[in-house]
Amino acid sequence: MRLLIVEDDAPLASGLRRILEAEGHAVDVTSRGEQAVLAAAQERFDLVILDIGLPQMDGFEVLRRLRAGSPDKNGPLPVLVLTARDAIDDRVRGLDLGADDYMVKPFAMPELTARVRALLRRSQAHGGPRIVHGPLALDTVARRAFLKSEPLELAAREWAVLEVLLGKVEKIVSKEAIIQAVAGWGDDLSPNAIEVYVSRLRSKLEPAGIKIRTVRGFGYMLEEYKGA
Amino acid sequence: MAARSLRAHLLRMLLLPIGALLVLGALVAYYPSIEPATLAYDQGLIDAGISLGTYIRTGDAGGYRLELPSAVDQVLRRDSYDSVYYRVLGPDGEPIAGDEGLPGPPPEREARDGFISYDTAYKGQKVRAVAVPAKCGDAACSVVVAETTVKRRRMARDILFSSLLPEMLIAIATVLIVWFGVKRGLGPLARLSDEIKARSPGDLRPIAAADTPEETRPLVSALNGLLDEVAQASRNQQRFLANAAHQLRTPLAGLQAHTELALAKPLPPEVRAELEQVHQATIRTARLANQLLALARAEPGARGNAAELNLKALAESEADGWVHQALARDVDLGFELDWAPVQGDAFLLREALANLVHNAIEYSPRGARITVRTGRNGTHSFLEVEDDGPGIPLPERERVLERFYRVPGTPGTGSGLGLAIVREIAAGHGATISITDATGGSSATRGCRVAITFPHG
Repeated sequence: MRLLIVEDDAPLASGLRRILEAEGHAVDVTSRGEQAVLAAAQERFDLVILDIGLPQMDGFEVLRRLRAGSPDKNGPLPVLVLTARDAIDDRVRGLDLGADDYMVKPFAMPELTARVRALLRRSQAHGGPRIVHGPLALDTVARRAFLKSEPLELAAREWAVLEVLLGKVEKIVSKEAIIQAVAGWGDDLSPNAIEVYVSRLRSKLEPAGIKIRTVRGFGYMLEEYKGA
Repeated sequence: MAARSLRAHLLRMLLLPIGALLVLGALVAYYPSIEPATLAYDQGLIDAGISLGTYIRTGDAGGYRLELPSAVDQVLRRDSYDSVYYRVLGPDGEPIAGDEGLPGPPPEREARDGFISYDTAYKGQKVRAVAVPAKCGDAACSVVVAETTVKRRRMARDILFSSLLPEMLIAIATVLIVWFGVKRGLGPLARLSDEIKARSPGDLRPIAAADTPEETRPLVSALNGLLDEVAQASRNQQRFLANAAHQLRTPLAGLQAHTELALAKPLPPEVRAELEQVHQATIRTARLANQLLALARAEPGARGNAAELNLKALAESEADGWVHQALARDVDLGFELDWAPVQGDAFLLREALANLVHNAIEYSPRGARITVRTGRNGTHSFLEVEDDGPGIPLPERERVLERFYRVPGTPGTGSGLGLAIVREIAAGHGATISITDATGGSSATRGCRVAITFPHG
């Protein structure tokens, strides 16, 4: 994947570049907002990591111009905002202007790489009908699932729950959110029913190393695949 | 120095002139009305004297005598209030008849319309007397009639009272008008002070001058000037904090990135150990920077805007990060979140909650169970974090809220700022903080529950 880092702090920028290159991405770095806008207009990136506190054209303005540009035929360009400001309105403004995620400096590198992976996966899902999570693959057009290339039988409700969780890997999805996403018109799903579907999914997926964690009193979280 | 009451001051200034006016008014009303009344009573005495004069007879021996039938004498002396005296004097002033020793008119007094009226004393009492000319044959003699002054004094009192009464009413009315008028007049000031009192410490918006009276405009505009300066200073401080955060956090992020990159490489064990220390120190420094900034932001006057918030939503929005922290330490983090509306600063409340959760995760053993709760207790919203860790001994519970204090023997490398921040933030929201044993705690692991209860609203 091709990534653009917009960060004016040289040590941080070089650290980010090396970590993301180690993940197998092609990484470009610029320290100036104007250059970032120009680069994004001329070339195709899969993700932009954007610092808010840039000299001259700041991150908000860069984000605004990226979003104001012509709509990308490959779907919107995901933007992960980095901020050192602790004012909450900075975060809100960032997300209002169309940032896909934000991180407050300083942050742990594993968290950054996890967020980058999640954003890339999400934008890929936008483009293609196939969702891949470790050994699990979902063909959303044919509505067929494969585990380690073997066909996997999923009931309609199980499929729906799994799709919701796959859309937010490493994030907690509340039971209410699952119910809202899964229940059709006239359906009356109880939280207990969701528990049943999740436990069925677990029995099918856990042998392959795919873990769905219960967050007590809140919901579920599909963990990142770390190998069987 | 006692506060000077404008009202008392005004009243003091007014009371003396009002009192003087009262006396003056009474005098002005009294004298013009006492004169005709006195004349009327004197006329009664004169009439009595004239009729007495008609009873003077010339004696055979050339002397004079008074032939007064006893019935007439009784009629003359009959009076409901006063004793009446008379005396008849001959042409040379020698007494002819009547009450012994009743003083005659003072020689220097001149007659008016032929009569002399004068004040004197008789039998130890003040009396009013008139001398009336009478005829003793061809000679001129006189009759003196006097009466005590009971009904005159009574009349004087009545006149005085009837002239004073309206004056008194006017005076009382004036005092009342001043009393309530000042209160009413100062009403806008009272409303202004109520409005300022009702403000939250962070509310530095100017006071609306539109609905204040003309006279208080300079005060309002001076206050607004001050508020504006304070707000400006607060904005500068916020800007400074934001810049400080940026300046501090970006290099820390770089430091952390490179340490983690280095740690990902094969390293000699002793170098790895050193680098681990650097990495831990970096993370601690970053956390400390965050905490100091939060503490500075929680200071009164530096506070952001209060908004309608729901603690449930606040906790939900932060749950992701906490769950990952908890997973890393093998701690079971759960939630019992119910609707809990509060008025507050989202950043600060998030920070308070994050500190409580962080403490619980940090100081609980592996496998511990932590529960984050929000909800409403009657009319009060609350948030609490409960763990089944070692708990905080009773004597330490006050002290752990102090800055930089850590319970002796506590493992880990915390700064001792977390709960101090929580306390400051709670105080800034008018909320109370309580530390108790966990509900299900046993004596072995009593657990700990830190609850923040918000004021009604």
